[in-house]
Amino acid sequence: MAVELKHDPYNLIITGVGGQGNVLASRMLGAVLTAQGLWVTIGETFGASQRGGSVMSHLRVSQDGSWSPQIPQGRAHMVLALEPLEALRVLETYGNPQSMAIVNDRPVMPYAAIAGHAEYPAAEEVAKWLGELTAQTWIIPATETALELGLPIYANVIMMGALAAVGDLPISREGFEAELIKSLGPAKMARNLDAFDQGAAMIAS
Amino acid sequence: MIKQGPRDLVEQVQEAGLCIGCGSCVELCPYFRSHNGKTVVLHDCDLEQGRCHAWCPKAELDLEELSQALWGKPYRFTGVGPHLALTAAKAGPALGEGAFQSGGTVSALLAAALDQGMIQGAVLTGREGLEPLPTLARSLDEIKACAGSKFTAAPTLAAFNRAQAQGAEGLAVVATPCQGAALAQRRLDKVNPDAPTGPAELVVGLFCNWGLDPQGLMRFLGQKVNPETIKAMDIPPPPAGVLTVETTEGTLEIPLDEIRGFIPPACAICPDMTSEWADVSVGMLEGRPGWNTLVVRSEKGRALAEAAADKGWLVLEEMPADMREHLAGAAEAKRARALGAAQEQGLLGGPDEPGPKALRVGPEFWAELSQGKGE
Amino acid sequence: MANSEQANQRLTLMGNQAISRGALEAGMRVAAGYPGTPSSEIIENLAKSADEHGLYVEWSINEKVSLEVAAAASLAGLRSLCAMKQNGVNVASDFLLHLAGSGIRAGMVLVHCDDPGALSSVNEGESRHFARMIELPQLEPGDFQEAKDMTKWAFELSEELGQVVMLRSVTRLSHASGGVVPGPLPEVSGQARFEHNGSLLDPQRGPVTAGPVSVNHPRMQEKLARAVELFEESPFNTYSGPEEPELLVITCSICSLYVKEALVMLGAADRVGVLKLGTTWPLPPKLVQRNLERCERIMVVEEVIPFLEENLKIMAAELAGQIGPKQFMAKREGYLPSTGELNPDLVAAALARALDIEYQERPAGYAAKVASAAQATDTPRELAFCPGCPHRASYWSLKSALALDGRDGFICGDIGCYALGARPSNYGILKTLHAMGSGAGLATGFGQLGRFGMDQPVMAVSGDSTFYHAVIPALINAVHQKSPMSLVIMDNSGTAMTGFQPHPGTQTDAMGHPVPPVDLEGICRALGAEVTVCDPFDLETTRQAAMDMLADQSTAKVLILRQLCALSPERKGKKLYDVQVDPDKCLGGQCGCNRLCTRVFGCPGLAWERETGRAYIDEVICAGCGVCASVCPAGAIIKTERA
Repeated sequence: MAVELKHDPYNLIITGVGGQGNVLASRMLGAVLTAQGLWVTIGETFGASQRGGSVMSHLRVSQDGSWSPQIPQGRAHMVLALEPLEALRVLETYGNPQSMAIVNDRPVMPYAAIAGHAEYPAAEEVAKWLGELTAQTWIIPATETALELGLPIYANVIMMGALAAVGDLPISREGFEAELIKSLGPAKMARNLDAFDQGAAMIAS
Repeated sequence: MIKQGPRDLVEQVQEAGLCIGCGSCVELCPYFRSHNGKTVVLHDCDLEQGRCHAWCPKAELDLEELSQALWGKPYRFTGVGPHLALTAAKAGPALGEGAFQSGGTVSALLAAALDQGMIQGAVLTGREGLEPLPTLARSLDEIKACAGSKFTAAPTLAAFNRAQAQGAEGLAVVATPCQGAALAQRRLDKVNPDAPTGPAELVVGLFCNWGLDPQGLMRFLGQKVNPETIKAMDIPPPPAGVLTVETTEGTLEIPLDEIRGFIPPACAICPDMTSEWADVSVGMLEGRPGWNTLVVRSEKGRALAEAAADKGWLVLEEMPADMREHLAGAAEAKRARALGAAQEQGLLGGPDEPGPKALRVGPEFWAELSQGKGE
Repeated sequence: MANSEQANQRLTLMGNQAISRGALEAGMRVAAGYPGTPSSEIIENLAKSADEHGLYVEWSINEKVSLEVAAAASLAGLRSLCAMKQNGVNVASDFLLHLAGSGIRAGMVLVHCDDPGALSSVNEGESRHFARMIELPQLEPGDFQEAKDMTKWAFELSEELGQVVMLRSVTRLSHASGGVVPGPLPEVSGQARFEHNGSLLDPQRGPVTAGPVSVNHPRMQEKLARAVELFEESPFNTYSGPEEPELLVITCSICSLYVKEALVMLGAADRVGVLKLGTTWPLPPKLVQRNLERCERIMVVEEVIPFLEENLKIMAAELAGQIGPKQFMAKREGYLPSTGELNPDLVAAALARALDIEYQERPAGYAAKVASAAQATDTPRELAFCPGCPHRASYWSLKSALALDGRDGFICGDIGCYALGARPSNYGILKTLHAMGSGAGLATGFGQLGRFGMDQPVMAVSGDSTFYHAVIPALINAVHQKSPMSLVIMDNSGTAMTGFQPHPGTQTDAMGHPVPPVDLEGICRALGAEVTVCDPFDLETTRQAAMDMLADQSTAKVLILRQLCALSPERKGKKLYDVQVDPDKCLGGQCGCNRLCTRVFGCPGLAWERETGRAYIDEVICAGCGVCASVCPAGAIIKTERA
């Protein structure tokens, strides 16, 4: 295959909070990239997946074989975060000065913040730290846009559209569409493709 | 008043074994509940100050501040404490028949207050088997149904709080001295002055030497009688030294020594025998069965007593001097004993004594008490 | 998906999918297991395509029964698979020991998935020890392709040996995904038939029994000896690296990918040789000798307990006369931890130390920035019950009941989502937590201690699936021994923790076919327990029922709290109520409430607005159960039934 990778393996971390749909997003991206002839290794933690915990998926994209399903510290090329604080949390362990991040701006309050034991930091603070820990960060209103489209879960697709638009990985609209139709069938395609396009537009602008 | 919160309350009262289960902190919030005569903490509340603590009669009860606020003078009580009149009393013909303790004066006063439109209802303590059951009575019949002493601490104020939360106004409360102290503190409330749960319209105080732990008494009596059959309980004047339990099967006499173990530790530091913070206080009249002692303390109490006598709810008579002296002596003895015990346990202090105190007195009285101790 | 996909096209498959694909390629006909993370998807995958491939697949009542179900198929001539998590092997081990004695007929593979780091467990037990203890061959795939290929081979090996083969996965393989090229699916035929009329000593035609031990035990060891011969030549044991390395790393399982990564991180691939073992018990001595001879220094990279390490050291000692003394650099020498999972960083650190390489994962300046950003993230996300979870409501009521009871009573916990009740975010209400069914068992014992002055009432909780799995014997014991234990069965209608697998109380089986549910109340009543059934969303009734149970300390009692899991297929995404907070009624932080809903009840669907000092509902998160409306002391949370 003649697909060029900027890094090999290319290390992508998808993060969020249990119940936000990270696992679906990582599998969809895995399928799109596999269809390009790439090797994709995905590491996931399931325990907290529905129970309010921090959830991460590690994607390793390579021309050549399987890699460790855990990315080494400081080796993330891209962080796709469905939750701002989780983006920060991931970068603290896996970031490096060249890392990039696409971050949904909608916070999910940790239990300690709901209970009043801790405070969720202000959006500007989080943005400032994200800026310091990455070479480039895009903070996008994925959940807000998803709610306009009708369901919060579209935020995942918006994030994938944004990731595609950055252009590091060979994720085309057609490739996404081809995989989506396998798992969803034709009925729900229009809304999902709309979400994908809106995500891409958030990077372009 | 030192304002503190629920965690302090739990530490100073519940965990210190001083909770009397009066119900003052119950039904104000979701955190405290009454169950089987005990006040239970359901969840942790981290407020720094709360009504639970401010109103609790066993946490930072500032006797001096209360006395100044209610009676306009220092807490240096003698005899039955501040009063406008001290008489013998019993229910008059207007009240009719009932299972009254001694003279039926409490029921008569409440009936009169209802009749006068002074109150809309009264919170008092009925009984289900041996379990005291606080009740909101809105009619003469409901009042009569609760007559009779219980001798156990009861969460009466929980029923009062609940009734107020549900919008009831103009309520009287028939209160033991500890409950009276809790109600009196509401008149000073600085924690939450806008809250719907405020002071009572009328407080009818009961004389009390000590209460009994309801769970302990229930277990104890449950072994001797069928609780369902109990009609009334009484402690006849000394030297009888017994608790009489009247049941449908007959009357049982239990030596007081057998039940003293059920007296909660909180009673040992209670200086108040005659409900010194009430509008009127009622107790038995030793040596004269069928009559009560009536202490009229506030102007409101006086107006009620006079109206009750006028309308035939209540019969009043002069109280003989020897009986007055005897009562005064008993009240003073309890006061002195309790303050001494509290001081000994480090639970009594002046206004500036550090650390939590169950009771506080004015600076001069405190100096005197401390000195007395030093001698 | 992976089950019907065509051969030769590379797919990205989860380790568990790869294992089930391998079983299909081996012509397996019967599979059974009990759900447990990280093993569950193996049986789930096979169940999904059971009809298509003519399989029988079941979720059994527990691991021991599942092993017996799978063994029956093997004895009747059908290849079979059994899958479970690490502690399931403990449950199944009694039968496994005896099955190893009798041997099997058609290929039979026990897939056991360990959970180093206890990512989804309350233990990180090492189940490879059973292979050595019970004398069974042990295989450990090192990546996704091997997960498929070795599973397929395990059936052939099992059949050749006439013995069960254990195949071990770990969470990071089972639940990770990677490239797998599927092979062809065979045409499978052949009828099931159990031959039992031959001689007792004829393993293929006679009765199948664990004894006579004097015959069967030597036979077991002959099978192991034959396994060693095969392992000497196995393609799943590979060496890579220079012929004469400075250091030999011996590794197995997913750790082989960590080693590969660590060598790239350190740029040390030309200095280190790597022997990856796929057959870890019994060890093939010639292969081991050949590789130990390469150099003096040996590092063993494996997770948790030093299983491979110790066996290698024994072998090195036996061979010392021929190969000389070796310097091991492994767990016992402090190079790697013997608790928790490994990762490339830990392996890189061990290798860097052994090779004297300085490794820095990122520039120093970056670390300072991380330290400053860490202020924002110093609060971890506590795991909590999902919005709309019936367990939160149940525990809320049980907590109140225990407080009101006032005798310092407590709850023994058990395994399932409700085990999260041990955490502060879920009221820290569970005071013991061990194995499946142990809550009820402990409670039965505590209940007997009244005679020694213990006046605390005791409760146990159990999920519906756990009840069938291991609680029934404890309940029988409680009834029979007159233990005044109160058992609360939190019935959310499925094995929720692991993804809603059916259990004996549900109306469909693993393959989606209708089956008769075994009545929960009926069992408890038949055992002689008093049974009450409540809806945990009705807080008042539930609390009263719990208090009634606590008050009556005369017999064993059962309270069934029945409400669908918020993530169950029937309930997920369907709100019962629209829930809103009336800001005018909300007391917020005032005396009289002090944020009971957000601060104490703690449902993630509730949130707190600092500016206004009022609670509000996060519509994205709220599941619409409406329970918080009953919790609010001010009547400020308003629920409206959905049409």
